[in-house]
Amino acid sequence: MLKTLIQKEIRAGIFSFRFAAVAALLIVVIPVSVFILANDAVRKADEYAARQAGIETYLKDYAHFNRLQGVIQPSLPPLPIQAFVRGTSSDANIGEFDNDPLPVLFPLIDLTFIISILLSLAALVLSYDAVSGEREEGTLKLQLANSLSRSSLILGKIIGGMAILVIPFFISIVLSLLVILLNPRLSWGAADGAALALVCTGAVVYIFVFLALGVFISARHRSSGASVMTALCAWVLLVLLIPNLSPYAASIIAPTPSRIKTSREIARLTDVDRDELGRNLQARKYDELVRIYPVLAERLTEEEAQARILRDPAYREAKSALTRAVQEAWDEANRIQGEKAETLEAELTRREEAQTRLAKIISMASPLSDFTYLATDLTSTGMRNERHFNRLAGEWGNAYREYRDGRIEAFQKEDPAIDWWNTPVNVGDMPRFRYTEEALGERIAGVLPDFAILLAMGLGLFAAAFAAFIRYDAR
Amino acid sequence: MIQTIIKKEIAANLLSYKFFVVILLVTILVFTSLFVMDRDFKNRLADYALTRPKPGEPIALLPPNPLSIFAHGLDEAMGRSFEISPIGIDVRTGQQSGNAVFGFFPAPDFVYIVKVVMSLVALLFGFDQINRERENGVLRLMLSNSVARSRILAGKWLGNFLSLSVPFLLVSLLGFAVINLDPRIRFGASGTGRFLLICVLALAYMALFLSLGILVSALTRRPASALVILLLIWAGAVFIVPNLGTLAARQAVSVPSVKALSERRQQIWTREILLAEIESRGAGGRGSRGAGKNHIEAINAETDKMEEDFRAKFDRLIGLSKGINRLSPAASFVYAATEFAGTGIGEERRLKEEVLRYKNSVLAGSGTDGPKSPAFVYQYRPVAEILAAGGLIDVAALALATALLVAAGMMAFLRYDVR
Repeated sequence: MLKTLIQKEIRAGIFSFRFAAVAALLIVVIPVSVFILANDAVRKADEYAARQAGIETYLKDYAHFNRLQGVIQPSLPPLPIQAFVRGTSSDANIGEFDNDPLPVLFPLIDLTFIISILLSLAALVLSYDAVSGEREEGTLKLQLANSLSRSSLILGKIIGGMAILVIPFFISIVLSLLVILLNPRLSWGAADGAALALVCTGAVVYIFVFLALGVFISARHRSSGASVMTALCAWVLLVLLIPNLSPYAASIIAPTPSRIKTSREIARLTDVDRDELGRNLQARKYDELVRIYPVLAERLTEEEAQARILRDPAYREAKSALTRAVQEAWDEANRIQGEKAETLEAELTRREEAQTRLAKIISMASPLSDFTYLATDLTSTGMRNERHFNRLAGEWGNAYREYRDGRIEAFQKEDPAIDWWNTPVNVGDMPRFRYTEEALGERIAGVLPDFAILLAMGLGLFAAAFAAFIRYDAR
Repeated sequence: MIQTIIKKEIAANLLSYKFFVVILLVTILVFTSLFVMDRDFKNRLADYALTRPKPGEPIALLPPNPLSIFAHGLDEAMGRSFEISPIGIDVRTGQQSGNAVFGFFPAPDFVYIVKVVMSLVALLFGFDQINRERENGVLRLMLSNSVARSRILAGKWLGNFLSLSVPFLLVSLLGFAVINLDPRIRFGASGTGRFLLICVLALAYMALFLSLGILVSALTRRPASALVILLLIWAGAVFIVPNLGTLAARQAVSVPSVKALSERRQQIWTREILLAEIESRGAGGRGSRGAGKNHIEAINAETDKMEEDFRAKFDRLIGLSKGINRLSPAASFVYAATEFAGTGIGEERRLKEEVLRYKNSVLAGSGTDGPKSPAFVYQYRPVAEILAAGGLIDVAALALATALLVAAGMMAFLRYDVR
């Protein structure tokens, strides 16, 4: 009997105007968006390659260790999966003077967006009158009078509803995949395919949540007119309000210290104050050395000093000692000020992470947020990837600093008189920042809680729908 | 007769479940939004008190804009601290940059509520105006009692518009008044005027969607079909067209990414500083200030040129994307509302220009470490300038679209089979 009911639901659904409209929307909008996003991904990949080439050109002639780290800052390369999911890999670039206003006013439309907004609405539109509509038409009491069990009726509704929603969704995904695979410039890997498949699985659970919600609301109203109003209200609150309010609520409950003030403090500590401290320490060390090497007190120009180094070993020794002492002084200044800055930074980061965690938790009351985090974390475009990227950047930073310190030491041994920090050098063998995506297994492990919450919501709403329908007056 | 129909529509709405749910939803949304955005504004005000530039500091930092409570727009970008230094501008971002969740979801401000929810509500008021009354048999009763079709439609439109706009205006104005009570937030005549303009825009926006709802209602036989069609059009107009349009425009106009620009900036200044140091070492001794100054000028010249090129391309991109986006009334509404509030694209662009001008004046004025830098003062564009710069087009687009939809609705209803 259940199979017949499911078939009936599917047939009734497929031949309805609603289904045609929803299917048309999905089958048109998803592939078109993916097509445009795929072109955009290719464009971004080209631009990224051009940026890297620009950096290499700069490095050939102007690479100097004093300021090199600013030029070779790690940046996130575009990924092929961004043809489907963009997440927070937007180009707002608000940390720099050149920020882009458009993504703030008009966020990019990607698969996550379409699924979370349109598919949830579609699920509600197809299910809001599942029970109340049949009561109005009189078919509900006919079915119940012919001893069809309530449980098989409600199961039939849910399963049938899922089938007719998932079919056009999958057709649109297949069409989109064709768009991707036919694009010769996009290299799509197995891990990307797997990530997409998992996002689609998450989408199916997400659709299930809203379908169950629609059926539940329908089973709590007598007329379809009333149930559509309640359904739309619930949708507005869950999809358009709770996620958007969550970071604001978190910032009220768990405020953070002033970013601008902290940033200025850190800049002052590591720049102006560091310079002053460095000069003082350098002066002290110089005074100490002059007592040991009185020859250092003589004032010579650069050329005269160079000449004297070559012919006078004592002077060379003195100069080396001076260079080492200067290095020590500045290292000490950097260390002291660096520690102070680190303390400030650590406190700010700690409080900001706490606020972010709180915002995330609050937002997870909405299935849209759970799905968004699931999709963006699986495709390395979300908060998880930001942490991963920062970790990689930190590791690279350490490797770079080791390399730099090693090179400077080698240079200074070779020729202690030259200011190697501000001299262009060949950095052909410098460790480059290489971004690699987090392993798929780890990403999956990271999104299991989101999956679990969505599934729990869906099952909870299904149970509620079940309970409501068992008590429903079919007359 | 129209008056009677208007009264009937209002009475029918007041007694309906739909009206009750919708008004409750709107009240909750508007008050929650205003409360949250107001608290956020007060936090930013407190932050500004800690970080405002002291006299003589070469820092451009805009005080928080109270109208951002209603239209958050680009307020975060505009509220950044711009510190002028000889080699460039140090930018420091505000509180929201520290919480990644802000980046996932748009701000739930008043403009967002109107753009997304009020349009849906207007559709819900209009979608069953004609077809449900046909189903009930009321329509043929009215027409057989020789009430003109045009009167019926006009009465329905006005009755529903009043049912929609009066509660909305009450809630919005009440919210505004409550916020204005706080002595820290003084809107003044200008701010109040701009808020009222935004409300008028909102009413025009809702009128458009109401007309759309009635039009589709007059083209369908059953309310359920009308609802589905309208929800799809709504999703398309509010979510898809504005966001896809921007993306499509980027494919047509090639603009370097802002990250590329920042990287170039970094390369320019480090290169010039290095060259300055090499020169000064070659000259012997501490190095001449003249050479250093040349290189600083070179940095500024090159970055200013880069900025100009970028600005020109970016303006073309904005122009094209605005052109495409304006197909959607939601985009026109957002553009106009954010510009009136002073948090729009045009205002942000002007702020950046002023910051660059400030940078040049600070650098020109600083010969020695003696004279203090002038304070940065920013005047928001007056409403007339906003209208001239494109605001009028957005307002006209909304008005024109509404007029077309009303006319189409009238034509559809005149031909509607009421049996």
